[in-house]
Amino acid sequence: MKRRRGGIWLALAVVLLAVGAWLMFTGQGDEPPPQAPKVDFPRRMRQEEWKRAERRRTQVLALAPDAGPTEATPRRPRDPVLAALPRGKGKSAVVIEANALRHSPIGELLVDCLMRDGGKRMDAFRQFSGVDPLQDLDRLVITDDGLILSGNFGNARFKELFKERVSSDYGPGARVYEPGSIVVTLPDGGTGRGQGDETVATWNDQLLVVGDTPGAVKDVLDRVEGRGSDEPPVISEGSTYGEMYGVVSVEQLARMLGRDQPELADQLREVADSVELHLDARSDVAMVAEIRGSDEAKVTDLGKSLGAALSVARLKAQADGNKDLAQLLDFAQVQPDGSEFKLELAVPIDAIRERLAFCRDAGQPPREAGMQP
Amino acid sequence: MSAIEVIGLQKTYRRAFRRAGNEALRGVDLTVPEGSAFGLIGPNGAGKTTFIKAILGIVQPTAGTVKVLGGSPEDPRIRARIGYLPERLHLPGAWTATAFLHTVAKLKGLRPDGAAHLRLLERVGLAEAALRKIGGYSKGMRQRLGLATALLGAPSLLVLDEPTDGIDPMGRVEVRGILQEEIRRGTTLFLNSHLLAETERVCDRVAILANGRVLREGRLEELSRGGARWAVRFAPGVDSGALAAAGFQAGGADGLYHVEAADAAALNLALDKARAAGALLVELRRDGQDLEAVLTSTVGAAA
Amino acid sequence: MRPLFGIAGYVLREAASRKFILAFMVGITLLLLVLSLSLKLEVLDGALAATRLFGNALNHRIVAVDVALRPLYMACAYVVFYGGILFGIVACSDFAPSLMSPGRIEHLLALPLQRWHILGGTFLGVMTLALCGAIYGSGGLLLIFGVKTGYWTLGPLIAALLACASFAAVYAVMLTTATLVRSAALCAASGFLLLVGGIIAGYRTPISRVFEEGLGRRLFEGVTLLLPRLSSLANASAELAASQPLEVKSLEMLLAGVLVFGLGALAVGFWRFEGKDY
Repeated sequence: MKRRRGGIWLALAVVLLAVGAWLMFTGQGDEPPPQAPKVDFPRRMRQEEWKRAERRRTQVLALAPDAGPTEATPRRPRDPVLAALPRGKGKSAVVIEANALRHSPIGELLVDCLMRDGGKRMDAFRQFSGVDPLQDLDRLVITDDGLILSGNFGNARFKELFKERVSSDYGPGARVYEPGSIVVTLPDGGTGRGQGDETVATWNDQLLVVGDTPGAVKDVLDRVEGRGSDEPPVISEGSTYGEMYGVVSVEQLARMLGRDQPELADQLREVADSVELHLDARSDVAMVAEIRGSDEAKVTDLGKSLGAALSVARLKAQADGNKDLAQLLDFAQVQPDGSEFKLELAVPIDAIRERLAFCRDAGQPPREAGMQP
Repeated sequence: MSAIEVIGLQKTYRRAFRRAGNEALRGVDLTVPEGSAFGLIGPNGAGKTTFIKAILGIVQPTAGTVKVLGGSPEDPRIRARIGYLPERLHLPGAWTATAFLHTVAKLKGLRPDGAAHLRLLERVGLAEAALRKIGGYSKGMRQRLGLATALLGAPSLLVLDEPTDGIDPMGRVEVRGILQEEIRRGTTLFLNSHLLAETERVCDRVAILANGRVLREGRLEELSRGGARWAVRFAPGVDSGALAAAGFQAGGADGLYHVEAADAAALNLALDKARAAGALLVELRRDGQDLEAVLTSTVGAAA
Repeated sequence: MRPLFGIAGYVLREAASRKFILAFMVGITLLLLVLSLSLKLEVLDGALAATRLFGNALNHRIVAVDVALRPLYMACAYVVFYGGILFGIVACSDFAPSLMSPGRIEHLLALPLQRWHILGGTFLGVMTLALCGAIYGSGGLLLIFGVKTGYWTLGPLIAALLACASFAAVYAVMLTTATLVRSAALCAASGFLLLVGGIIAGYRTPISRVFEEGLGRRLFEGVTLLLPRLSSLANASAELAASQPLEVKSLEMLLAGVLVFGLGALAVGFWRFEGKDY
């Protein structure tokens, strides 16, 4: 009688289970999965930033001689850099936390790039000026009228640096260097004389103000000394978060968009009152732009248009096979909130590291053209 | 040629963690001739269902050989020629009879034929219920559908386990008629039924299975035959003493006597003696047994 | 192959008559209808500008539609994957034990079929059922989101197919259990156990570090080496649904491994079924 032969099935089962185990082992791989990029957007002041702001309140303003009994209570110490910022609607000021940025991953990459020549140029600058940009510089503020640098400039040789300029004291601790004839190094190695066009001022070895005109520089010093307008600075203390932050005038931002997105630029001009920027570079580079306007419906429409523009850019990048750009725009989003909205953009640090890799090896030429926006 | 040929069939069911198994069949030898109507009878637990499962390849024998329709029941080609009705056929309640027949026909490798299926249902008395859901069928209707399923594809061997179970007396007559038609057509019938009268009426050969062994097997009349013993009934007023002298033994009933006669001459000699003593003969018949008696006596003798 | 398909058809016909399965299909349909009628997505040039469910705004961010829908697609993939397997375990646990019930299995075994046809056909039937359910559910989801957002992706469909492949491994074990013990509860229990084991097996490397070096860790690694990596496939299905890069080294090999495991488990069932008396 024909007997059932189940043994074949058992042997087949053993073989199949073994093959299955091998396939699964090989297919899954035993390396831990790479961490998905997670971007931390600067959306509010963090505890350490509040502490930083507190530490920076070093300036105690003397009471005005004509102050009445209401001024009897002493004024709170304040941050001279914030005090130096322009005031009023339509003004721009962007603060770069140079010291914090220098110690961030992207800062290290940038320092690598700066030191490509082995730090020779940096050393020369340090010896010439007495200022070490990597150690002494704390903040750099870019305004419509010039620059404000804050830090420790006690070792700076301002007198030698600006010996060609006409200098004068401007209140206690402040000195203004107005344009005069300066020595210029010529391409053939010789020297010639020229006329400087910028005014520089120093304040208590803490601030270095560079302006287009002496008036602009003196305005800054007036604001620091409490002699200016009573309007609040364009950046409040509660907005000093991130490694870069500030307020950009709508006109400036529209001009930046104008070339590629003229309709969006026009819409921005029409709708937005101000644009506040915050950039976090502690790990990945994340930027938040807060755009405010008076007409809620128009602001929402603008947000939608911006969101759509980002989406189209991302889809285009995907279609073009530009994975890096598509990855950057993955993090882009618009978050409407009544009469304002937040536009968030991010660049993973790995993408920047990849782009700036050539800086680490000074002998190698750049691999590709610079990163696209 | 034999439709079923079983030699030394043994089946022991073994259970996990138990050393001793349960011996259901203990060396069964049985031959079912082709074209015969064979009845398997025996008490509960005799091994009848195990035997049927063994000849269908549903259980694997522990020892012995089974040949069905000239081949092994493990061979699907052999099973394709067998129609089987299990003892408690489970039917899908949500299906219609035609859908069930259609599916079984496909599984049997037959080309489903709706008209033929309807004819089959008509034959078993289910024509009107053909499109009704099986869930609403009575027990008897389910048995009829089971029988129709077994008859699909005109099998050479019909193995029926309690085919008339749950069917009313009129229905049994119909089923019996169908089975007799199949036998006439040349189909071998292997029937297991606890209704011995059914077996007696349908089958020409019977085997008695008890305690895993075939105790008796043969043609029905051979099994039920009483040998040289006759039953004789005389008119009232007979002389018992004279009859006893002529070799007659009194039976239980009034005027009933039994006599041993090896042949017709001996029987007539005994009857002549009785008539000579004034006895008037009213009935004469062979003193045989019905199947129940055969079963009881056989199993009782074996115990 | 005809007997295999015959048994598969038998199982499917049986399934179609079950109210439970029909209720499931109606449930999926209702869910899809509710989604399609109550979910309002406002899309501008590929950016999701607003989402409303039952009239309430859900999403305040304006972001590329595929990015915005990523969490949704991922959640859907996980729900389809684990929910589908769990439902499959519960809904299909009774098929094999019912097919092997007294009065039915004898009838089937007496038909001109090989024994493995019965088991293989049952497997095929159940998998066809699972595949139909998965394609129906995920296809409906894909259609609704595609029409509403204009963003078409095969992700949810692929996720559903991966869930089917995983369920194949789970059901193979359930079917094999049914050949050992004819109990729907035990079949379901074996399915649940394999699902849990499969989730653990997907994370075997990080989990194994919890064990002390030595026999315990080796034993854990040895056992989980054989088990299908269901959680890895679930993660892969979510990643595919969200069009994100895969964590696994080779999805094809992993998938093939899980399927081969299923066939291996099924072969054990064939072996047991071949030698079993009913």
